[in-house]
Amino acid sequence: MTEFSAAVYQNEYLAGGSTDVHAIVTIACAGAGQAGATSEGDAGEIVIVDTSASMGWPGVRAAQAAAAAALDQIIDGTWFALVAGTHTARLVFPFDGTAMAWMDPRTREQARAALGSLAPDGGTAMGTWLELAATLVQAVPSVNQAHAILLTDGKNQHEQPYELDARMARAAGHLQVDCRGVGANWEVGELRRIASTLMGSVDLIPQPEQMAEEFAMLMRQAMARGVASADLRVWAPQGAQVLFVRQVAPSVEDLTPRRRELNPLTGAYPTGSWGDEQRDYHVAVRLPAARAVGQEQLAARVQLAVRDQVVAQGLVKAMWSDDSSLTAQISPEVAHYTGQTELAEAIQDGLAAKASGDDRTATAKLGRAAQLAAETGNAEVTAKLRKVVEIDEAATGKVRLRRDVDKLDEMALDTTSTKTTRVRS
Amino acid sequence: MTVCPQCGTRVAADDRFCEECGADLPRVAPAAPGGQSADDLAVATGAGTDAATGVETGAETDAESEATAPLAWGRRAVAPRTCHECGGEIDPDGYCTQCGAKAPRPRDHLASRPAAWVAAVSDRGIRHDRNEDAAAVVAEPADRAALVVCDGVSSAADSDVASLEAARAAAGVLAGSAGLATGSALAAALGARIGAAAAAAASAVAAATSDGVDSPPSCTFVAAAVQLPVVVVGVVGDSRAYWLPDDDEPVLLTLDDSVAGQQIAAGRPRAEAEAGPQAHAITRWLGVDSPDEKPRLTTLEVDRAGWLVLCSDGLWNYCSEAAALREQLRSAAAAVGEDPLDLASALVDWANEQGGHDNITVVLARLGADGTRPAGGPAEGAER
Repeated sequence: MTEFSAAVYQNEYLAGGSTDVHAIVTIACAGAGQAGATSEGDAGEIVIVDTSASMGWPGVRAAQAAAAAALDQIIDGTWFALVAGTHTARLVFPFDGTAMAWMDPRTREQARAALGSLAPDGGTAMGTWLELAATLVQAVPSVNQAHAILLTDGKNQHEQPYELDARMARAAGHLQVDCRGVGANWEVGELRRIASTLMGSVDLIPQPEQMAEEFAMLMRQAMARGVASADLRVWAPQGAQVLFVRQVAPSVEDLTPRRRELNPLTGAYPTGSWGDEQRDYHVAVRLPAARAVGQEQLAARVQLAVRDQVVAQGLVKAMWSDDSSLTAQISPEVAHYTGQTELAEAIQDGLAAKASGDDRTATAKLGRAAQLAAETGNAEVTAKLRKVVEIDEAATGKVRLRRDVDKLDEMALDTTSTKTTRVRS
Repeated sequence: MTVCPQCGTRVAADDRFCEECGADLPRVAPAAPGGQSADDLAVATGAGTDAATGVETGAETDAESEATAPLAWGRRAVAPRTCHECGGEIDPDGYCTQCGAKAPRPRDHLASRPAAWVAAVSDRGIRHDRNEDAAAVVAEPADRAALVVCDGVSSAADSDVASLEAARAAAGVLAGSAGLATGSALAAALGARIGAAAAAAASAVAAATSDGVDSPPSCTFVAAAVQLPVVVVGVVGDSRAYWLPDDDEPVLLTLDDSVAGQQIAAGRPRAEAEAGPQAHAITRWLGVDSPDEKPRLTTLEVDRAGWLVLCSDGLWNYCSEAAALREQLRSAAAAVGEDPLDLASALVDWANEQGGHDNITVVLARLGADGTRPAGGPAEGAER
């Protein structure tokens, strides 16, 4: 039995005249079960591997092994397909004219054999891969939860950015895509944009031989998401403005643009599928007016809805007070995640400035990042920052750019930037 | 005839709300054979013919509590479904589905005026999240009244329930007539009745105590038995009674059972004692762990016009000296007039403006100039 719970962390006390309310809402899911195990629909899995010329034979062989490792993790009774991506997309399995195959020991073996047809050739147009994957998923009506792993080793060179955008938009909502880049010749920003639009993760795989382990892990994770999809719903009072809705853990993801109006006061923000996990959301609401000191009101109802049923609700409150010892405190959770969000921005801005040769901006931004990482106790980011900058004094953000930085270290820092640590309590 | 317990307007027996003030009306059970009619329930009090209109702003569902309900405020069984601010629907979570306003719990703010010369207001204040104060007031149109304030101790569980039950029980005992006694015999009779009321209140607190709780509920007690010209006041704890004559020195009628109260009794200046550490720790209370529950009595002969004030520390913390309280009462009267309900509300508002650090309860009775009858209505009071 799947159970969701919600907890709200905030300082509900507002100084007289204040109208902005911030809260961290933690949603936890337990007992999610296996993907596709519910009676509502089936799960669909697609493995998309880059077979462009740049992969070379060693890369393709590693990709074959990785795809095979993923196949091993797909549970029987799941719809699946294999796609090879170049400047166009090719359906590798199934090859009998159907869109997706029903996983069982026989089809698993057939798919594994079909991987033998992969060979390095051609360019890279990831939009076409995604478009094919979305088409496959839609061709099997019983699939209500589709997920793909996308692997690339390079930039999206054989497709205009607007084409990628259009194809990505057509795929959005049909499947979730975890994106992985192997080696140092792909663009973190590009893959992040795809992952963000398709509600998946992005990460770096430094060496081809590490792919199999990563694919197996991703597939296990996907198979453990027994809740096909859920929406975060945010109600705010008449006249109020929802400033933003942001996932802040386990990674930073701005959900604000995903809003769909449910009614004039409530917006729905898709959150994709859920396993047994906990996610934190930062919700900020500007109320239409401050009430008198001593008054209380509701600033937001934050709910999780599965199949249009509300399964958990947290109440974000506002209480006006003239006691500055109450109103001056910032909730530790809100402060922590505000810092983590700024940290992600500082890293990404700093690396972008460094790439464009603007060392002054890069030093300032990465210095701020070092300071924030220290303040919020993000040891992983601090360790990765050290490979890109010399941290002279973390407390003041005094850093120097390192020379001869390994590109992989920079990319690792970039992909780590949005991963957040939880509040230490 | 049925009247609104809040404002006194006549209402139909089956009305759910008062057309005049919007108060929820107590749900009245259909008259059972041989039982009380709806009219009896609405106008009678637990004290029978001795007392007039009582108080009940909440709606209790069981008939037993309805019979005693007019003595004090009840807790509402069903939350209102319409927002008092925007008219939107109230969600089961207790907030408006449109504007987000918090639907007030009836227990949070209560007001009543059982007679033109007596009123009580009890308010959650600002800092506390529930109202653990309670009051029960019963008054006749003429010269008799029973006034009770109980302040629940907030470190204990269920003190809001205990204080309400205590106040109800005490008022029930006090509402009876002391007969034809006069002078010192009357004072003795009233004093005995205050003692009985405190005992009844203590029993009510004990009855509200669940078995085996670490911190049993408890409350303070201050009560006045008014049968003019005599007023007898009894106190356990740090709720207070003041006598504020129009043209004479104002007096604090009670001595707090608190660390500060002990120091003041020993000669330490009030301002200094009340600012000391643990000054507000009370040394006596009503509850199963109470050291004793015998109220300390004070008798007052009323020979001139003035205000009798009973209050919890949520008010007197901001105006401890009798002169300071009279100052507030006078400025409130200048602003809102002499109606006791308006005045009590104004004093509560003022305490909230000072920070509302505690629950605030104010009971006011306007006592008359000739010493035998209270002042009539607000108009008479204003002329004086």
